[in-house]
Amino acid sequence: EVQDHLVFPKFNFEEYMAAKANKVNVALDDAVPLQNPIKIHEAMRYSLLAGGKRVRPILCLASCELVGGDDSMAVPMACAVEMIHTMSLIHDDLPCMDNDDFRRGKPTNHKAFGEDTAVLAGDALLSLAFEHAAANTRSANQHGVLQAIVELASAVGSEGLVAGQIVDLCSEGKELSLDELEYIHVHKTSKLLEAAVVCGAIVGGGDGVAVERLRKYARCIGLLFQVVDDILDVTKSSEELGKTAGKDLVAGKATYPRLMGLERAEEFARELVSKAVGELSYFDPLRVAPLYHLAGYIASRQN
Amino acid sequence: AASVSSKFDLKTYWTTLIREIDQKLDEAITVQYPQQIYEAMRYSVLAKGAKRAPPVMCVAACELFGGHRLAAYPTACALEMVHAASLIHDDLPCMDDDPSRRGQPSNHTKFGVDMAILAGDALFPLGFRHIVSHTPTNLVPETQLLRVVAEIARAVGSTGMAAGQFLDLEGGPNGVDFVQEKKFGEMGQCSAVCGALLAGASDDEIERLRKYGRAVGILYQVVDDILEAKLETEEKEGENKKGKKSYVSIYGVEKAMEVAEELRAEAKKELDCLEKYGEKVLPLYSFVDYAADRGFSFK
Repeated sequence: EVQDHLVFPKFNFEEYMAAKANKVNVALDDAVPLQNPIKIHEAMRYSLLAGGKRVRPILCLASCELVGGDDSMAVPMACAVEMIHTMSLIHDDLPCMDNDDFRRGKPTNHKAFGEDTAVLAGDALLSLAFEHAAANTRSANQHGVLQAIVELASAVGSEGLVAGQIVDLCSEGKELSLDELEYIHVHKTSKLLEAAVVCGAIVGGGDGVAVERLRKYARCIGLLFQVVDDILDVTKSSEELGKTAGKDLVAGKATYPRLMGLERAEEFARELVSKAVGELSYFDPLRVAPLYHLAGYIASRQN
Repeated sequence: AASVSSKFDLKTYWTTLIREIDQKLDEAITVQYPQQIYEAMRYSVLAKGAKRAPPVMCVAACELFGGHRLAAYPTACALEMVHAASLIHDDLPCMDDDPSRRGQPSNHTKFGVDMAILAGDALFPLGFRHIVSHTPTNLVPETQLLRVVAEIARAVGSTGMAAGQFLDLEGGPNGVDFVQEKKFGEMGQCSAVCGALLAGASDDEIERLRKYGRAVGILYQVVDDILEAKLETEEKEGENKKGKKSYVSIYGVEKAMEVAEELRAEAKKELDCLEKYGEKVLPLYSFVDYAADRGFSFK
């Protein structure tokens, strides 16, 4: 229903994603040159350039574009978001955390380089994110760049990702309520997606209203991301997913389908999409296509 | 120049600043949900007996160029946060495997390895956020704040302190100079440069402070190692620990003492070019002498 208000020009989403991902990959490659000490930079590059769909950095670029900014303003911020995302995965996979040996079909960072290097490579990516964003963002608005840095820092720190990890770690083996589950997902997943979108809008020169609309949009798709993940875990085979299906179920982990039933979870996902898309109605319909399609993409992805 | 520092009461200056910094740090990390992480962060950042050398150098550098102390406090706190984060991770079992630090259990000994990793991960960004959200905007232009953030991030990163820690762990043929410079020179360098940046110093002055801070940072550590080595010979327990490459362990105490004197001279040479600032440069001179001579003790 909401979609009916919006009239889209022809938009090739796949082409858009491929072009932006390519731009991000080139920028990431440039941002982490292979320098001394070689091995630590190899480890950083190993995880950072391991492929991936680059959803977060693309959201950042799309959001910047939507408020009238140019890609070049947001590319360093987009890279920073991906560095932080990668860093969180490296540390997450460590033996003392989730103890994962493989990620995206490749040995995890500590398997390939050793635990000590993996910890340092993660730390180095974290600080590089801030260095890169602070030193290389060419935005007319320096105040905005600083604000974006605060967003990014909040998203990853003890009020963001780390808070989610802690609550997740501490609730292992416990029965979670829906609120607790949402807390974990909002902090582990949504906050960084939100920062990606908000930072893009800020450096792109968006005003306060635009930034807050986009923040709400991002919150919905952040949560959506996790709800869809949970649904896929029970509805798809391992082969279709490219990872072990039913893993959450076997581990007795709290998921949306488990807490609210599959049907209700699917309904919740639909609600989130339409809420996200609703926030976009504030913007020029001619510019809104990328974020509109990104919401759909997150909702309907199959792995 | 040795007589210069006798005109300045560094001990009072320093202990006053420690009190200020400790209080600001206490306020900067308030315990909230989820409590455990804040407790782990506070445990390391607010450890008793910390000398707060990086913050003090930052404040002194800022004051040298006429900056206000209030302009430097948030960055001074951030330096302690990122420094604590590095040390928490350095102590981990997979790194230096140190069960204690400054006579207290290490962060992971007290809170567990997973919590220690996350506490470090949270302290890095908190430092950057603290600078931006707490530095009075009427005292420091935004351009300078961006430079400060970039400077600190570079100093702790893969070509800075993380590089030093990495090469130290790796062992091998890498020169002790490089390891010491990265592990200890970076923090001193970055502290002095940030103070200068906050006060709006010129690029030339910033480069002088960079060399000064680097020399003092290494000097401090070399002297620590010398003192420790002397103590150990007396107690006859000089065991070789993993990940502890120092001038003393490579070249012996005597050569290390020569290196220390060179570093002292190097640091003072930079300050000699800043004499137009008159007495304001005294804290930085006396800092060098303290690093070399440990002329007084705290408490």
